[in-house]
Amino acid sequence: MFSLLLWVWIILGGILIGAGVHFIPVGGAPAAMSQATGVGTGTTMLAAASGLTGLIGAGTAYYTHPGDFAYTIVMGGVSAALMISVLAFIANVMYVYGAGVPLASAKVKYDPITKWRQDLYVSRGTEGHGSPMASFISGILGAFLAGVGGALVFFALAETYKAIPGFSATFGSYPAPYYISLAAAFAIGIFFLNCVMASYNIGGTIEGFHDPKFRRIPKSIAASLVVSAVGGLFALLISVMLPGGI
Amino acid sequence: MDPQMMVELGALTLVGGAALIAGVAEDLESDVGSQSNPNSQVQLAPQMGYLHRLYNKAISGEPASYPFYAAIGAATALSVLSVTGNNSLIGVFFALVAGAFVTALIHGVYATTSYMGRLASQSRFGQPIYMDVLRTHTPVLMAHGFVANFSVLLLTWVLIAQHLSPFPFVVLAFIWGIALGGVGSAVGDVHLGTDRYYQDRPYGSGVNAAHSGSVVRKAESGLRNSIDCAWFCSKFGGPLTGLGFGLVVYLHFWKEVVVKDWWSAVAGIIIVMIFVIMNTYLERYSRQRYGTYKEETEAE
Repeated sequence: MFSLLLWVWIILGGILIGAGVHFIPVGGAPAAMSQATGVGTGTTMLAAASGLTGLIGAGTAYYTHPGDFAYTIVMGGVSAALMISVLAFIANVMYVYGAGVPLASAKVKYDPITKWRQDLYVSRGTEGHGSPMASFISGILGAFLAGVGGALVFFALAETYKAIPGFSATFGSYPAPYYISLAAAFAIGIFFLNCVMASYNIGGTIEGFHDPKFRRIPKSIAASLVVSAVGGLFALLISVMLPGGI
Repeated sequence: MDPQMMVELGALTLVGGAALIAGVAEDLESDVGSQSNPNSQVQLAPQMGYLHRLYNKAISGEPASYPFYAAIGAATALSVLSVTGNNSLIGVFFALVAGAFVTALIHGVYATTSYMGRLASQSRFGQPIYMDVLRTHTPVLMAHGFVANFSVLLLTWVLIAQHLSPFPFVVLAFIWGIALGGVGSAVGDVHLGTDRYYQDRPYGSGVNAAHSGSVVRKAESGLRNSIDCAWFCSKFGGPLTGLGFGLVVYLHFWKEVVVKDWWSAVAGIIIVMIFVIMNTYLERYSRQRYGTYKEETEAE
């Protein structure tokens, strides 16, 4: 059933996704040549890879504990954080043993967490390599936020679509009802909306919360608020527009 | 032990193994096809005056192309199953093969048009289109893509058949495709981009931005092509990517199968903490082992 509270959850989820993307250390294409600190892939894609893995965790949690709000969002966050911690660690193993470079950041002189010196370990002509501790922790926090945001969106949509007549039915021997599938598909859409908004705001690479670009986050929050409000409204109104909708 | 849990753990082992193979095949496919972050160097090389015989297809980033291959494969497999029914194991197996086969064909079409289009646009720099490269590389990358996509479809099918995820087949395959592309482009590419494309530079340093585009063009014998790069990366980059994706999938479901309810969240947090500790040791090891690039006085 359409509810204003569920719309608020979607907007809040969108803001968390947009904010979470800013925490995730993204090196982009230069990171593959060990020219930039962070994980070597695009902003949107890395956030989506971790956040949507969180969505799988949230979906399973919602399915095994129907309607349990806290469990769903916590499992979403933890699953996303787990994914990025494995990914960033294995990427760091590749930097250390495959490329033979130490993990270092070029944006700060001392790591804000370990207090280890950074600038001496940055090789000539590069902007750092790998994910040092500050970026690693920042990535885990960012993925947790993005996972929680994705789970909030999924929860709100699933609760809405559950009330549509016929959507609690299942297909053949497949046990999960229709509304979970529909909520997952729309949650992926709203996830990508917010990831792309945030990645335009970042513009290329970011090392985590210690990067000067991180200060751009208020703009992203405002953009996410608008985008999630409009996108969320359309996603929720489907429950009204479908035959038999409320 | 609970018999249901034993069955789920067995399924999880199969899923982890399939994810490992998917990761290896995905990374080697991106090495043969040069799709991904290091492709920026291959793309740049002719503009800098370095003509090469490397394959050049950046259809899109790996985390964007793999979910779509997986979704196409899953949709094809489902349509085959809707005719044959999913009662027999062999029927399901052939449906998944059919799904992966269709993705391989689509992959081949994209790769061919991408290679021809990209190199045709570089004719102003004198870069030729090598038809033998197109003829020899395209089937190799299609084959690697087939293995990767089949493994993703297999692991998705096992997860759904064991009721480990409530998501539908296509959506779940799509999400695992994004995760696979993310791991492949974050891990395996570093071996190709930092080491293989710049083997003539001193080892143990990031590639100086001033050297961008000057990729190695001579091989151990003759001129280098992208299949040589896959041979090199299969020694470390590919297996490590496989390990990464295998761990992502395995640990994700391990924490939900072995421990239940809120304990699975606790188990997830403990695993994250273990990775943080291991990363601390790795970072300290790399600093002590490799040392600094410049003296303290130089930095001041």
